[in-house]
Amino acid sequence: MLTEVKNQIRVMALSTKYSLMREMLNKVTFISNVFFMILNNASFIIQWLILFSLKEDLGGFTLKEVILLWGVAASTFGISRFFFSSAFKLSDTITNGKLDAFLVLPKDVLLSVITTDVSVSALGDMIYGYIMLIVYGITVENFITFTILTICGGLIVVSISVIFSSLSFYIVKADLVSDTANSLMTNFATYPDTIFKGITKMILYTIVPVGISVYLPVRTIIKFNVYNFFIIVVLCIVLMTIAYMVFNRGLKKYSSSNLMISRV
Amino acid sequence: MPIIEVKKLSKTFKVKIKEKGIKGSIKSIFKPKYKTIKAVKGISFEVEKGEMIAFIGPNGAGKSTTIKMMTGILYPDAGSIKVIDYNPVKQRKQLAYNIGTVFGQKEQLWTHLTPYDNFKFFGAIYDIPNSRVEKKIEELKELFELGEFINTPVRNLSLGQRIRCEIVASLIHEPKVLFLDEPTIGLDPVVKENIRSLIKRMNKEYKTTIFLTSHDVGDIEKLCKRVIIINNGTIVLDDTMENLKYHYLNKKIVDAKMREKVNLEDEEGITILKDKGYNLKIEVDTRKRSVADAIKLLNPDNIVDINISNIPLEDIISNIYKKEDKK
Repeated sequence: MLTEVKNQIRVMALSTKYSLMREMLNKVTFISNVFFMILNNASFIIQWLILFSLKEDLGGFTLKEVILLWGVAASTFGISRFFFSSAFKLSDTITNGKLDAFLVLPKDVLLSVITTDVSVSALGDMIYGYIMLIVYGITVENFITFTILTICGGLIVVSISVIFSSLSFYIVKADLVSDTANSLMTNFATYPDTIFKGITKMILYTIVPVGISVYLPVRTIIKFNVYNFFIIVVLCIVLMTIAYMVFNRGLKKYSSSNLMISRV
Repeated sequence: MPIIEVKKLSKTFKVKIKEKGIKGSIKSIFKPKYKTIKAVKGISFEVEKGEMIAFIGPNGAGKSTTIKMMTGILYPDAGSIKVIDYNPVKQRKQLAYNIGTVFGQKEQLWTHLTPYDNFKFFGAIYDIPNSRVEKKIEELKELFELGEFINTPVRNLSLGQRIRCEIVASLIHEPKVLFLDEPTIGLDPVVKENIRSLIKRMNKEYKTTIFLTSHDVGDIEKLCKRVIIINNGTIVLDDTMENLKYHYLNKKIVDAKMREKVNLEDEEGITILKDKGYNLKIEVDTRKRSVADAIKLLNPDNIVDINISNIPLEDIISNIYKKEDKK
């Protein structure tokens, strides 16, 4: 069992390494992708600077907290999209019968599929997250908490994408549902949760759990709380398990296709 | 003991049907209609260890669906499959360690990597220690003559070289059964011949059981001793290549160049395929008339040149397909 897990991780790491090597073939494109993503994220902070020049705080968040929020959000999404980029194309992979190549290999299908590609711009997101942490005020403690919680957040984002994408095993055009879920996870992540109330807030802690992937980690980094930390880790494991089970259940309904496909 | 056992295997697909136009699209949202397509209808067969078997049929016959069920890609609706003592439905991973697959239309290699790096990657997938992978790569490099391009990125290789690498990648873990789905598709005749001889050599050296599907009669004729023909989801023929030719080759083609014109129009057992004055091409049904008899009708003194041949295997196979379609 342990050897099996070790071998699976080895293959996933190799897959990520080879994908990164492919992206690095063109040095200029690679560097500019990373750089422009950092620049793109930075441009949003300007909007907040303007906003905070007019108002001192927003739902209890000052500019300092918003900077941390952006750092956590960027790093969380960076981790999910850099290491598990294919999880966000999973719906298309299922619908177009592209799972065949993974099903004939002696490795876990889901883990192999989602680690088959990397997104270079997401590397910019990850770096930007740490830049924001430095601006916020980095310490050894918050660096460790930030790293662990953004990894958990990233895995939660991936799990949500896998759960919604697995609908493609049952219905056609489920990509619309998974794309919407993924967009919601991104769009809500960069606002203080204190501005959301009632049903919206409930949704953000259940169906689209930005609350667990971003809001709660931000609060835990600002003021460390073992209980919150524990909740995030446990919910991350629970969501990963659900995603794994939902995908594998759907796999039994997989119907393949005869499209001409190449791995590029 | 057979290495592959398939019993009463069935698979159906549910397909949404839609009336034409935008009206049909709107209607299908509120009142969707489905039809069930029976892709495979209770087929059974066995394959012995070391056999090279051709599994053929026209497009949509159920070939790919059957192979996909045998390799664990699709779940069957009914029936049972056993490949090397494994049930693909329940033991997909264990089975994958023991089988190899090459889908001519689907690439499994990373195109930006060299074949060597790709083989190493596949070695990791099959949990083979590095030293053993390197030894195996060296061995297969010799057998498949990859020496010249093993360190060239796959995207810069010709199609023939790529297919050779795809086959090698599927052999890294020494599979007991190799599924080849149209391995020579899109290749020129010289490369096709080369791939065929390599497959033959591999079967001889490693005793690998080969399960081949192809639309290329050359692949089937030159590689396989047994053929299974599937059409409309059922097996319509499961026989040796020899028997197939023997039973279906009851017609001969006589192509003759004549000194004088001959009229054979109403002769029993003779069908005129081409009559261009002095050049005559006829088909002789040997159950009704012997070839010698047909030549006598032509008058041997009248013949300048003659060529007697069998009906091409391609025609035999397409006749079987057509016959089944008419049923």
